[in-house]
Amino acid sequence: MAARTILVGVGNPVLTDDSVGMLVARKAGEALSGRTDIDVRELCLGGMELMEALVGYDRAIIVDAMTGGGPPGTIYHSNPERMFESRNSGCAHNATLGDALEIGRAVGLKLPESVEIVGIEPADVTTFGETLTPLVGRAVPHVVRELVSMLSTVAPGEGR
Amino acid sequence: MKRITIDPITRLEGHGRIEIFLDDAGSVENVYFQVPELRGFEQFCVGRQAEEMPVITNRICGVCPEAHHMASAKALDVLFGVEPPPAAKKVRELLYSAFYVTDHTTHFYALGGPDFIVGPDAPPSERNLLGVIHKVGVDIGKQVIACRRRNHEVIKLLGGRPIHPVAGLPGGWSRPVAESERRLIEKTARENVEFALFTLKAFDDIVLKNSSYLDLIVSDVYLHKTYSMGTVDAQNRVNFYDGKIRVVDQGGNEFAKYDARDYADHIAERVEPWSYLKFPYLKNIGWKGLVDGADSGVYTATPLSRLNVSDGMATPLAQEAFDRFYRTMGSEKIAGTGRYFPVHHRLATHWARLIELLYAAERMLELATDPEITSTDLRNIPSGPVVAPMGGVGSVEAPRGTLTHHYFADERGVLTKVNLVVGTTNNHAAISMSIKHAAQKLIGPGRPLKESDLNMVEMAFRVYDPCMSCATHTLPGRMPLVVRVRDRAGNTLQAVGRS
Repeated sequence: MAARTILVGVGNPVLTDDSVGMLVARKAGEALSGRTDIDVRELCLGGMELMEALVGYDRAIIVDAMTGGGPPGTIYHSNPERMFESRNSGCAHNATLGDALEIGRAVGLKLPESVEIVGIEPADVTTFGETLTPLVGRAVPHVVRELVSMLSTVAPGEGR
Repeated sequence: MKRITIDPITRLEGHGRIEIFLDDAGSVENVYFQVPELRGFEQFCVGRQAEEMPVITNRICGVCPEAHHMASAKALDVLFGVEPPPAAKKVRELLYSAFYVTDHTTHFYALGGPDFIVGPDAPPSERNLLGVIHKVGVDIGKQVIACRRRNHEVIKLLGGRPIHPVAGLPGGWSRPVAESERRLIEKTARENVEFALFTLKAFDDIVLKNSSYLDLIVSDVYLHKTYSMGTVDAQNRVNFYDGKIRVVDQGGNEFAKYDARDYADHIAERVEPWSYLKFPYLKNIGWKGLVDGADSGVYTATPLSRLNVSDGMATPLAQEAFDRFYRTMGSEKIAGTGRYFPVHHRLATHWARLIELLYAAERMLELATDPEITSTDLRNIPSGPVVAPMGGVGSVEAPRGTLTHHYFADERGVLTKVNLVVGTTNNHAAISMSIKHAAQKLIGPGRPLKESDLNMVEMAFRVYDPCMSCATHTLPGRMPLVVRVRDRAGNTLQAVGRS
């Protein structure tokens, strides 16, 4: 069965809490390893590159560090229309994810109807490092559980 | 003194902004451009094996990981004293040319070009690729996406992984090019040349044939004169991957030409108390502050400066475009050289970027059809545990300026010290000056900053395509601008903003 859903962990693996999205996507991917309808990808880029990674899928979940004003480790749910709240899924060198999706659709790329964004409030994304800060680290199993739960249903239109 | 703050990007700690300081009369006194500070890079690297650096440093920046990968691999060549075989250098340059095509294309159509294509007065929501599509048609959008896709494929193929290459090693390259792959790359390069020509034609039709745009480019709002820097080959022509670093003065005279390993003899970094940023300047001129002219060591490292230092382009169509550029800008050749008197109109950088796009495409085609490109002789192994005592310096022209990596290691090859001068950093002083220059024309006593002027200020720094944080992979997308006018006590007198 071809993959219909993509889970993308966005972040920078060497910038402390900025790696959280990649880490939780990897762990959720391990928990869902029997599911051939789901692809998991780690990506260091937002904007156009992120949009281009979603081409061909019915459903996309993007997980990334996101600043929403809550304490570190807070989990948020958002969508591309509200991307201005994310510090990490846009890219000043080309477009926001929302714009990029609009551009992609305008030029006829097959993009998911449904794009969900899961964010985790970071404590530090400006220091080089490969370990999460404690509060963000503690949120990891919770986020993984949420992702697995969100992915417990197959993408609409699958008809299996 | 009043202070106006423009937050071009919203970061966690409020970094990344333009601060415009007004004097008591309401005239612009000073402008400071600030970008987010990332901490602890050197500590992060020290103690690691040096050969990890090409993979680590390409995580520094999500915008130009390929540039960091190349500078890093070149630094390791020197650190371990091992010269890559000719074919390895060609494969590196081939990947790098594909990267330049996508990077310059994306900047022009998504960021810089929309100022002209949809107009400097267009609402911000239209000044992007979507606005370009609405104005020029959906085909252009399709071409841009297709250009990105085919070149990303080449980068993945040559680099061994999408976006963040892993193939660069001390002394060479790990992945040979198969003949079937070479044919695909050649096809891509041919399409790139066509696309670059199409883009230059579009620039001609949309910008150069519009007298108000041409007037804007040559207006004194965006004119100021600094030294120019760029890398040149043995014939003093533009090269992105290798060569000597050349600096010319405001009049186009060669001021310096040196090997990257000697960068510390030519470049020093100024630390100012009001900013955590470093300001590189020409050491042998000296730091005179954020001022223009021959006595000030401020320089730029941009597509425009690379053209200014060069005696020409190494490929035929780009050479034609180079000649046409200078003639159109009213500049003549410097007697006895292939070089023209430098162009200092900052907005002309957009045009220079497209000439570089054409060169990158042509160079990619040359390399893709080079008989040696499919060679499997891609690596020389360091002969012994010798580590250069002066460390290893590697440098390339990143799209946003000369990029230098410098590593020191102990006898086991474990890093003891790391220094990076990244593309945008070269231009910190010049960016602040360009913004100041534009702001002075727009703001004055009785003329407060209007929202409609914001884009004119933004245009002054957009020409540099500044990497706001050469370390975070991503940022919020369209730049929200918030302008604050403050009195001496920091009270907000006026707030103009948009998201």
